[in-house]
Amino acid sequence: MKGWEATERVLESGGFESHQRVLIAEPVVEASEAGARFLGVTYWQAVDRFTRGGVRASWNEGGGKLRLLGGATLITFGPPQLTFDGALVSCRHEIRGGLLTLRAGGSVTLAQRPDGEQHELSVTVEEYLPRLAARVGAPWWTGALYAKGQSPFHAAVSRRYFDLLARGRST
Amino acid sequence: MKVTVFGATGVVGRALVPLLGEHEVTAVSRTPRDDARARWVVADAATGDGVAEALEGADVVYYLVHSLGARDFEKQDRAAAETVARSAARAGVSQIVYLGGLGADDPDASPHLRSRRETGERLASAGVPVTTLRAAMIVGKGSAAFETILGLVKRLPVMITPSWVSTPTQPIALDDVARYLVGVCGNEAALGNGFDVGGPEVMTYRQMIERIARLLGRRPVILEVAVLTPYLSSLWLNLVTPINASVARPLVEGLRNPTVAREERIRELLPFELTPFDEAARQALA
Repeated sequence: MKGWEATERVLESGGFESHQRVLIAEPVVEASEAGARFLGVTYWQAVDRFTRGGVRASWNEGGGKLRLLGGATLITFGPPQLTFDGALVSCRHEIRGGLLTLRAGGSVTLAQRPDGEQHELSVTVEEYLPRLAARVGAPWWTGALYAKGQSPFHAAVSRRYFDLLARGRST
Repeated sequence: MKVTVFGATGVVGRALVPLLGEHEVTAVSRTPRDDARARWVVADAATGDGVAEALEGADVVYYLVHSLGARDFEKQDRAAAETVARSAARAGVSQIVYLGGLGADDPDASPHLRSRRETGERLASAGVPVTTLRAAMIVGKGSAAFETILGLVKRLPVMITPSWVSTPTQPIALDDVARYLVGVCGNEAALGNGFDVGGPEVMTYRQMIERIARLLGRRPVILEVAVLTPYLSSLWLNLVTPINASVARPLVEGLRNPTVAREERIRELLPFELTPFDEAARQALA
């Protein structure tokens, strides 16, 4: 994998935005509903594999949730919103709640899009309000669990995700 | 065209052979059969006995064979595929059509799914163009995976399930798989290509259990537990379903791998309306 980048910033709204990406020579999914869905399915698989089954997504018609050891709900998500518009393929889930969420809001988007001669795979979290992050004006260490735990964990899952996508069959 | 079907007595083979009416069909079985819809030949892909005779003059070969249930099923599957591939090349076959598994390209695929992938690779090893259709669970009477779920629903009011019951899958109706298999026969655009053949709906195994239960008028309680190994699960399935533990174990191990279509090119090549899951399940239950 080339072109690994991971960025994170706090938006004016107070929400967090994080973005991880890699560059690949050939697209790993086609621009179709199946391709967009596969981006999502593989992400949740990456969470499972990275945590050795400790954190898993479970789904029903209304959406999904990430659960710790089949019990505590860490984050709940809306159903996948699939986009396959030209060369952009994406799967977006709204963030709806859970123990790691201060308030419902924001989203996670898994995407594949052209980047010059190559293609970018990305994971983007937008307007997420993490419960473990430091509040505005609070000492930095009150957000240590987020900064030293959840945030690097998320980036590591993204790496595993890109690896799973890249190692599987290409279209 | 002259078509030879290995695995003609299996669940998919039985659905496929009647649909090949316009072709001259040689159906392969390990024991003698009497069925006017095809010329039956006794052959065994595992040993190679009778394979050359079964392939005599064939243009297209369907390979629907697996050794699930055998202790060394991976080794047997590879050997059988190599035998048929070499014999097909010698016989001048122009296409091998293989029904593989969705999820088999997962780098962490279960032994069963890995074996499905390796079988496809061995079939292609002798130079005959292979058309691979990759399917998840096939919803039809006699399908081992479907019968396993059905057995659970019918016999257990309370189910303690492994956590990977939340894995997504894309089951497809037996009739739809058979239509796809027929459609790629001799199809130039399919030669040497692989296609994901997913059903019209993606669901988790838990959702599947719940939907089959609804069709049967039942409401089982499903409890997910984080620790239930494939070995324990297979013993449990052996007790409560008609499926043998040696078959159930590789199937259960495979539940950990998502089996969802990555592409849908087959729907452009062979467009038709896919059977909804509930309808396919109703047909299988009838």
